[in-house]
Amino acid sequence: MKVGITILFFSVSCILKTAIAQTDSLKPDYKSLNEIVVTSNKREVLENRVAVPVQIIKGKTILQAGSLRLKDILQEQAGLYLTNGFGTGVQMQGLNPDYTLILLNGEPLIGRTAGVLDLNRIGLSNIKRIEIVKGPASSLYGSEAMAGVINIITEKPIGKSAQLTARYGFGNPNTGWALPIGQNSFKQSDINFTGNTSFGKMAIRYNLNGFYNDAISFRPYSTDRIPQPIERLSNQVSLEYPIHSKTTFTMLVRDAWDHYKQQFSVNNNGSVSTSYGKEVNHDLNINPVLKHVFNSKVTSTLRLYGSFFRGYQKLSFSDKPDSSYIDDFRQKFYRAENQTDFSFQKHHLTLGAGYISDKAASTRYDNISNEKSNRIGYIFSQHEWEIKKRWVLTSGFRYDHHQLFTAAFSPKLSVKYNLNNKNAFHFSIGRGFKAPDFRQLYLNFTNTAAGGYTVLGAVDAIKVIQQLQANGQILEIKDDFSRLANLNPEYSTGINLGGNIKPHKNLKMEFNFFRNDVSGLIDARQVATKINGGQIFSYININKAFTLGGEINTTLNIRHGFTISAGYQFLNTGDKEEVSKIKKGLIFTRNNDGTSRTLLLSEYRGLAARSTHMANLKGSWEIEKGHFANIRFLYRSGWYVTDKDGNGVYNSGDEKAKGNLIINCATGRKIGKKTMITLGIDNLLNYQDVTYLPNLQGRMIYTSINYTFK
Amino acid sequence: MKTRKLAIIGIVATLIFQACKKEETNNVATPDSGEFGVSVSGKIVTVKNMYADTILGIGAMGPYGAGKFTFFNLSTNSIVPNSDSATTNWDLAFGGTTIRVNNVTSGPGNGGAFVYNGTFDALTAVPADSTFKVDNAPASYAITKGSGKGWYNYDGPNNLVTAIPGRVLVVKTANGKYAKVEILNYYKGGITPSSTASDSTKSYTSRFYKFRYTYQADGSMNF
Repeated sequence: MKVGITILFFSVSCILKTAIAQTDSLKPDYKSLNEIVVTSNKREVLENRVAVPVQIIKGKTILQAGSLRLKDILQEQAGLYLTNGFGTGVQMQGLNPDYTLILLNGEPLIGRTAGVLDLNRIGLSNIKRIEIVKGPASSLYGSEAMAGVINIITEKPIGKSAQLTARYGFGNPNTGWALPIGQNSFKQSDINFTGNTSFGKMAIRYNLNGFYNDAISFRPYSTDRIPQPIERLSNQVSLEYPIHSKTTFTMLVRDAWDHYKQQFSVNNNGSVSTSYGKEVNHDLNINPVLKHVFNSKVTSTLRLYGSFFRGYQKLSFSDKPDSSYIDDFRQKFYRAENQTDFSFQKHHLTLGAGYISDKAASTRYDNISNEKSNRIGYIFSQHEWEIKKRWVLTSGFRYDHHQLFTAAFSPKLSVKYNLNNKNAFHFSIGRGFKAPDFRQLYLNFTNTAAGGYTVLGAVDAIKVIQQLQANGQILEIKDDFSRLANLNPEYSTGINLGGNIKPHKNLKMEFNFFRNDVSGLIDARQVATKINGGQIFSYININKAFTLGGEINTTLNIRHGFTISAGYQFLNTGDKEEVSKIKKGLIFTRNNDGTSRTLLLSEYRGLAARSTHMANLKGSWEIEKGHFANIRFLYRSGWYVTDKDGNGVYNSGDEKAKGNLIINCATGRKIGKKTMITLGIDNLLNYQDVTYLPNLQGRMIYTSINYTFK
Repeated sequence: MKTRKLAIIGIVATLIFQACKKEETNNVATPDSGEFGVSVSGKIVTVKNMYADTILGIGAMGPYGAGKFTFFNLSTNSIVPNSDSATTNWDLAFGGTTIRVNNVTSGPGNGGAFVYNGTFDALTAVPADSTFKVDNAPASYAITKGSGKGWYNYDGPNNLVTAIPGRVLVVKTANGKYAKVEILNYYKGGITPSSTASDSTKSYTSRFYKFRYTYQADGSMNF
């Protein structure tokens, strides 16, 4: 039904596209260091109190970049690397997507697959700004906030107005520019409607977004369409109701659907079998918030949140018409949290407590009707202390009591030094954690095709293996089996040191150096062997890793609204056990003639799929009000993909995906007072890498029109 | 004027980015002729393209060969006919990724082996505390079967078998003499196909061993 509505919308508006309506009142970045940040301290504070690296992406930036999905805008940030596999994930400070918490107005988005929250699922149609906080933030946000937090902040109801935006884009990756839209081209359309109104004191905003991306086949020897044809539809309602002068009620309801049409062929040893079907994701978030200001010193906020996710996939097979594959995953997440803030002259105290109920059921677990559940109770506290005007010392902790595993204690200490109103420096050290997820606890998956191996979640593994052992079906139990009973959260310690400096009134620089030490990383290891030789794997805490690097972002305002910004990140990573083995001379590689030799530490390249260098350069031109042009150069260096010499580590001789440069540009102009037209080209160089970046479509030309009803 | 500025910035940026694109040089080896061959250089014997139940076709159950091992004698540096499989004329037998020694379930000899972690050149003698294992098919083999356990790694997503560097097969021959063996490659021509090659190419060029060994004829444990 919802999909039907989507199709209807697209058929009406196939010539047009969407962007976000934003007011032009936002001041450019360079004018002030003192922006308001909400994510870093879990309350509204001025930037001069923020002692951790924060990056803010404004709605206007998103609009002018022509970004539609969260993926589009995050890939234009120097410190963020987007991963392929189970959707598009984000790697922050060199840590996997599992370790970045993604929030919508401060509440976690759910529905991760293999630890990855697909960034394509999140539309940018109703977004005011995005705040990216780097470094561990578990002292305020708990599990998953190990590398950092991305908080998407939705637009609030604004007066009485309505906007309609429609966008249409297309491309032809094989021939580059060829205009006729035919068999080999792909099409993308997006339509967006926003309406603001009020009933008495209650202000309401409604946003509807529909997105369609057709796809083409450009993989050699394959008819598969990658990415697959996708339809997305989302409805969002936000309301704001001042109950009385000191009490405000706000609520966001977001309902989002994704529908993927799937058809792909698998060449199984010469015989081609085609699978076809669909994948449907449904995401519902309900977030009522009650805020009460007791007096100038005390404010209390009650947040309630319910989130429901379902991912459903059904595939049928051309060679086995009678059978089908169904994958069903359902998650329900409920949270209640109270936060009370006490403000004194030089002190600010934040106290909070909350309760989470997280439930999941899946065909990938033992039985879909057997719902798994975890309950978490937590408290947190943060104290900000302003010392001699220039220093702000922030200390805090959070304690999470889990039903299923050991409690996690996450302290954090940070210092901000404001040298003057132009230059400021910060240092922070904190502990982050990620609790084992349902997959790591309850997965029950047997691959009958490839040698009959089984992967079991840590909780199920003990039960299942003991049962099999009682039936005499276990050949051997590995040493790692004994470690299953104690599956613990993964922990990290993160250090960030940096500053914001303004050498000239038009030049602003932000830099940050970071190091994260992660221990108890969960990995799948063999824990038992069945009589028939089948291996049984499960999850245990095993690896220790580190990531370290530096990031610098510079904004230069030239004049006449012309701004250049540049960003760069250097990253070095490693697995501590691998490093120790290399130092002991236990890892080898091959010479050109194929003979073996000891691997040198200088040849070690750390964790897979990390770009050492990432950079961007952006030129943005605000010609006059409502008339803009920009060009963005996005570069990332190559990353290791295959352990070619089979020594178990990534070293300089291994196979690497090529580094790449992507150029995007856009221009927009206001016509009259109500209409805005935008024209843009994404991936101007038509860069493609079908092997390692299968989801990167070729050059796309798009145009959008935005109309404001007043 | 402003457009020109933009263009200049664009060009400069492109140059900077291109300059950053220094690629690391990968080890590139050239394939040999693909024919079976044995060459001797001092104490080291190198065997190329030794077929080990090579792929005849690809069926519903996957690629298949004739199901026959290739038997090799380390003292004569030659292949032994399959009719001699029940004799002590062979020391190692190769079939797919399985390598057998001449003992217990595999043959009438006094053979054995174990996998040593280290380089071929650095191994100058059989370590004193070594234990030679024997074949007890199908439960266990002297040279342990399976990815990451014996001499090779199997990369499932890319469907490639790679000989693990720094693994030496320390072998006791059918007649109780000692040899050290290093498997160099598993593919025809001594070159592992690219990960992006077709599965058919990967199958048909597999099961061609390239290995080198030193055989100690005097019965001592020194190489």
